[in-house]
Amino acid sequence: MESIQRVGAAGMLENHRVLYKCKDYRLPLCELYFCRHCLKLRSKDCVSHEVDSHYCPNCMENMPSAEAKLKKNRCANCFDCPSCKHTLSTRATSVLVPSADDPNKAVAKKAYYLACAFCRWTSRDIGLKDQSVASGGWEEQENPNTKRISELVEYYKQVAQKEKADRERKKYAKSRIRLLGMSGKYASQSARRHASLTSMQNLRISAPDADMSLLKEEEQKLVKITPNMAVEEVEGLPEDIYTTPINLAHKGSAQASTGTVTSIAQRLSQPDEQPTLTNSLYPIHKHLLVKRSLRCKECEHNLSKPEFNPASIKFKIQLVALHYVPELRILSIPNLYCQKESVVLLSLINPLEEMTNVTLLSCEEGDPEDTESTAKIVVPSQELILSARDDAAEYDEGDSVTDFKDDPEVVIFRKANKISFVVKVTPMKAVGDVKIAFKMKYNYKNITTPLGSKEEKETPILLLEHHVDVNLGQVIPS
Amino acid sequence: MELGDIFYNKAEYIETASGNKVSRQSVLCGSQNIVLNGKTVIQSDCIIRGDLANVRIGRHCVIASRSVIRPPFKKFSKGVAFFPLHIGDHVFIEEDCVVNAAQIGSYVHIGRNSVIGRRCVLKDCSAIAPNTVLPPETVVPPFTVFSGSPGLYAGELPECTQDLMIDLTRNYYQHFLPIAQVA
Repeated sequence: MESIQRVGAAGMLENHRVLYKCKDYRLPLCELYFCRHCLKLRSKDCVSHEVDSHYCPNCMENMPSAEAKLKKNRCANCFDCPSCKHTLSTRATSVLVPSADDPNKAVAKKAYYLACAFCRWTSRDIGLKDQSVASGGWEEQENPNTKRISELVEYYKQVAQKEKADRERKKYAKSRIRLLGMSGKYASQSARRHASLTSMQNLRISAPDADMSLLKEEEQKLVKITPNMAVEEVEGLPEDIYTTPINLAHKGSAQASTGTVTSIAQRLSQPDEQPTLTNSLYPIHKHLLVKRSLRCKECEHNLSKPEFNPASIKFKIQLVALHYVPELRILSIPNLYCQKESVVLLSLINPLEEMTNVTLLSCEEGDPEDTESTAKIVVPSQELILSARDDAAEYDEGDSVTDFKDDPEVVIFRKANKISFVVKVTPMKAVGDVKIAFKMKYNYKNITTPLGSKEEKETPILLLEHHVDVNLGQVIPS
Repeated sequence: MELGDIFYNKAEYIETASGNKVSRQSVLCGSQNIVLNGKTVIQSDCIIRGDLANVRIGRHCVIASRSVIRPPFKKFSKGVAFFPLHIGDHVFIEEDCVVNAAQIGSYVHIGRNSVIGRRCVLKDCSAIAPNTVLPPETVVPPFTVFSGSPGLYAGELPECTQDLMIDLTRNYYQHFLPIAQVA
């Protein structure tokens, strides 16, 4: 999975070299979220995922979750090739069929079959009948164990229900016994005076009994299922298993027509049948994908909520860290030698529409968060002032105004909302990657105003801190 | 990691008024049918087959060396017909790709040495891993990565893919700089 994360833009920008710490995870900024309410970084693993909608990745059609559950999270119209898992496409041909009026005459009729454009598998290979309509109508393969599975599911549903009822009863009974015990004590004390109250004692004894009888009644209500039995005798293997050679020929070769042995992947893609021969491979309904929203586990605010339409890339709520936390990048790395101080250029990008002051702090001795670093680092001692992000600046031809009094020893250049600066790194290990770690402190204007607090006009400015790990690559052996 | 400068020979590239940079070493067939919407880089030895059907490429795209962009065809009972090919904005196509797609959305990344089969549809914010073979008529949904041969669903992209792609293609264009030929 990790290699997949490096596909696309994130891979080209080598975002995995700069990691931000979020609880126990160290992740690139593009994979993190920023909860505006807790003011903390959140990773995929510390948010709760909620399925918003199911959709088919081929026809991009939405399916309500109840229907998706009923259809086992598969699309009704789209099929995957059982041989190579590519999506099957419908092919149209004309076949000659005897005319209805005159059986001796042949009429051309449209016929549709499924074909794989990648491995050339067709539904005709397994003898599926062609359809007269372009979509649907394919005969489904009946799972031989359907009845047993539904029986078991039904049974376990009841068991679950019963267990739930039991749990609740136990809770209830406990509190009731305590209650009765107290009243019993009261009764025993006052029994001498009020004999009639002893009936309470009877009640106490009879109550658990009533529970037991209820339980028994329910147990009887449970459907009886026949448990699986171990069999002493197993059916013998057919004679020809020793004599007929296994046909391992590839599809397309001459011997393949009789049905060759399927691959493990092909078998496992049809778990209910697990066909051993390719001539019993049936088209597989396409798996659905989901759109999901993410929620902060601590404050239960939404961090990400996509639009409903499966083809849309817009979000109703999108609190990704890239929009809220200054992004640190590596600009250039010199040759790094062990025990030798070198100058590394880093850059910071301000995603916020306000000026942001960033301070870098090197980790103190024995910092529990600093477990990765293999080099000493000298960070700029002064604050780095990042100018606000301005989307219109891109179209501005003029040079950026340089009214910042930067130390030219530290700040190399600034361009719009980006600043480049110098850190000094001394690798401490002679082999392996040079890793540096530091804290990033910056001011953040809290824009969230809790509902109903209209009078609170001013937005508080907070100081946030993140731990950052940077991998500068291999140290050069001296 | 910030992108470094990529230098090109000023004489080798034609720069249009809208900021497109097209290598003279590339082949643009039927150039009247090819529309580049601006700030698109087409590198050396690329082939764009505008003679087959219209090709429209959005803004801030990069088509790296030796890639082939070719409108898809469909077989009909009477011969074949070619369909126009649309590529959205901020699309990065790496080296040695063959693209036969019907539609490529915006913010799409195609890894090097990949083959995009006939009439594929790559939705916005999708990615193709390097060395992938996408069979004809594959649909790649948003925020997914396809890889392998045949190209299958292999993973997800982060929610901020759009920002990352805009950043990547803009930076690439900014760092794609000419050097005057040394005589």
